Amino acid sequence: MSATFLPSLPFHLSYPLLFGVLLVAGMLGGELARTLRVPRIVGYVTVGFVFGPLAGAMGMGLLIDEARIFVDLALGLVLFDLGRRMDVKWLRRDWTLAVAGLAESGLAFAAVFATLLAFDFRPVQAGIAAAIAMTTSPAVVLLTVHDARSEGQVTERALNLVALNSLFASIIVTLMLGSAYFEARVDIETAILHPLYLFAGAIALGAAMAWSARVIARAVERDREVHFSLIAGLVVAGVGLATLLKLPVILALLAFGLFSRNDERGYELLNVNLAPIGRLLYTVLFVITGASLPLGMLVAGGLVAMALVLARAAGKILGVVLVAPLGGLRPRQTLGLALALMPMSSLSLLLQHDIARIYPEFGRELSAALVGAIIVMEVVGPFAVQFGLKLAGETVPEDDAPAQTHAA
Amino acid sequence: MPLEFARSELLTFGVELELMVLNTRDYNLTRGAADLLPRLEKMSLPGEVKPEITESMIEVNSRVNRCYDELLRELTVVRDAICTTAERLNLAVAGGGSHPFHRWHERRIYPTERFKQVSALYGYLAKQFTVFGQHVHIGVTSGDDAVYLTHRLAPYIPHFIALSASSPYYQGEETSFETSRLHAVSAFPLSGHMPACNSWAEFNVFFDQMQGFGIVESMKDFYWDIRPKPEYGTIEVRIFDTPLTVERAAQLAAYVQTLAAHLLRVRRTEPIEPMYLVYGYNRFQACRFGFDATLVDPYTRAQTRLREDLLAALTRIAPDAEAMGTREAMVALDKLAKTEMNDTRWLRERFQETRSLNDVVRLQSQRWGK
Repeated sequence: MSATFLPSLPFHLSYPLLFGVLLVAGMLGGELARTLRVPRIVGYVTVGFVFGPLAGAMGMGLLIDEARIFVDLALGLVLFDLGRRMDVKWLRRDWTLAVAGLAESGLAFAAVFATLLAFDFRPVQAGIAAAIAMTTSPAVVLLTVHDARSEGQVTERALNLVALNSLFASIIVTLMLGSAYFEARVDIETAILHPLYLFAGAIALGAAMAWSARVIARAVERDREVHFSLIAGLVVAGVGLATLLKLPVILALLAFGLFSRNDERGYELLNVNLAPIGRLLYTVLFVITGASLPLGMLVAGGLVAMALVLARAAGKILGVVLVAPLGGLRPRQTLGLALALMPMSSLSLLLQHDIARIYPEFGRELSAALVGAIIVMEVVGPFAVQFGLKLAGETVPEDDAPAQTHAA
Repeated sequence: MPLEFARSELLTFGVELELMVLNTRDYNLTRGAADLLPRLEKMSLPGEVKPEITESMIEVNSRVNRCYDELLRELTVVRDAICTTAERLNLAVAGGGSHPFHRWHERRIYPTERFKQVSALYGYLAKQFTVFGQHVHIGVTSGDDAVYLTHRLAPYIPHFIALSASSPYYQGEETSFETSRLHAVSAFPLSGHMPACNSWAEFNVFFDQMQGFGIVESMKDFYWDIRPKPEYGTIEVRIFDTPLTVERAAQLAAYVQTLAAHLLRVRRTEPIEPMYLVYGYNRFQACRFGFDATLVDPYTRAQTRLREDLLAALTRIAPDAEAMGTREAMVALDKLAKTEMNDTRWLRERFQETRSLNDVVRLQSQRWGK
């Protein structure tokens, strides 16, 4: 008798098992971090740092490729949420906010670009890396805001600035692909059409998703749970569609969020809280991000990575400090806002990863510098946001923490 | 030490309005007072805008006014300034007695010494007290008149409730009450009404006793529906929900002013105690049923509908309204009583249309802004 009903060796890691293990391990890391009074995110990422080499040893390769679906889902949700938080009307009413966004993104780009040129990188490569460095990690900021129950001007402004710099960065990176192709001597049609397809396609997909959300919302009961299913479903479907159509998930979902918030006519879509699924996906996202960051890159990236981190921080801080006080922010609020823009994480990593795939000439050296910078900011960033929001007086006071609730 | 009653110019008046500070994303309350107030301070506005117990409330204090038109103009100017400032911060401001769906435990105490003390003493009641009322001050020339008016305005409390009611929803639920805000007030040990004293001297005896017991330090510690305010030389009516518009706020203030003028002209002499026997019942009826409430007259034992009682009062004080220049406001309140289109009904109709309390608050803040 052959025992065919028994599992056969060697085992293959399945997605459910991977997701479950990453989630529980991440949660444990987060709890450990909390008892050490360290931001939970640092705990999640540290679990990833440990997990990465283990996975490598088990022959699983780069986890970010294996579990790309989770990363896309999580980032899709993050960017959708971020898009919903961005208020175009506010940017029109308070010009200092829009200008602060341009200033901090622009100066960060300029500082990183100049630094990389000084290290003898080619302009196109330096440009792409500088565009990636413009982004602030939306996941880190959103999750820290949620964990610290932060509320107020600095929180809201930080989230709008993060949305702006994510938007700028994804647009610039997409468009710079054209120049990269040109440099790589790809035919001219591809050099123009591909970036155009990516950009216009993502915006159109986002708009279409938002439109369908509203059409369906009109037909169903205006009920929180119904709308929760609707939005969660469409976000997941949107990620799937973007992948299917070979469009950038990041830009598509950011556009979806933006369009579903900023509609003037109706308010058909309820503003449902996606935190319950958000927590699960974010946890896994950070573990995977940590696992996909080869710590060795820190050494390889070395000096360039450190210079990149410093140039980026200087550019962002200068941009905020120059403009934010004009909007009436007090010094502590201004500094808090600047610090809240520091994190660099999965979004940059994903942009870097995608660029490196489409455009292999991006170079090992520059990848190492970027990844090195991401590793540093992955740990420093959460502290910076937490401290910044606290400095601004927007986190919940410690003696005011909520009691344990027993309600379902 | 007896409380000194500062004299004011007779029948001058002013209002305090507590307002909600909201985010424009889901229209929940948000901590915005600390950002709004310094910006408002820099503008030269009539009156004052101050913090309140939690960080999502602000309080507008008008100047001392003589007539209704003046008050309305002033409130409009202040409202416009607040709305413009709030817009730049991406905040919204609204009237209404309670926020329809906020969760009290999410509120944060505004960090001043007094508010911290109140919070330490009252625990969760302090955060639950994130409700929004309108107070009306009427100037009087003596402590005796203050005591007299405090009592004699008490039978009109149900009118004030029905006219101002704007809090049918509380913590995300339909309460079936016209106003749910008053329950947050009733929870405090020194709420209710002033005891049945007949003169400022008698009131002082009572106050000395309470101070001697160590229960109160100042008049601020009494959370009565109507209380004398000796340092201002006024009586203060504190029962109103903040209405959804400044127009209504000014009309309500004018009603109190006109009633006070009437009661000082035609002095009432019935004994006070029976009035307070029916006080709690009548007050409840008004909170629950609004214009349809059944009111008990303690002297005749007759039961009347609040609507009729109110319309009769408006007719009675018509000559005083002419004299005070409040006729226009009284006509508006008369129409309100006849159509029963109070703010609570407006809010309920908006909910019927939108099926979402977030949208109700959004519309509420739009209504406040125009």
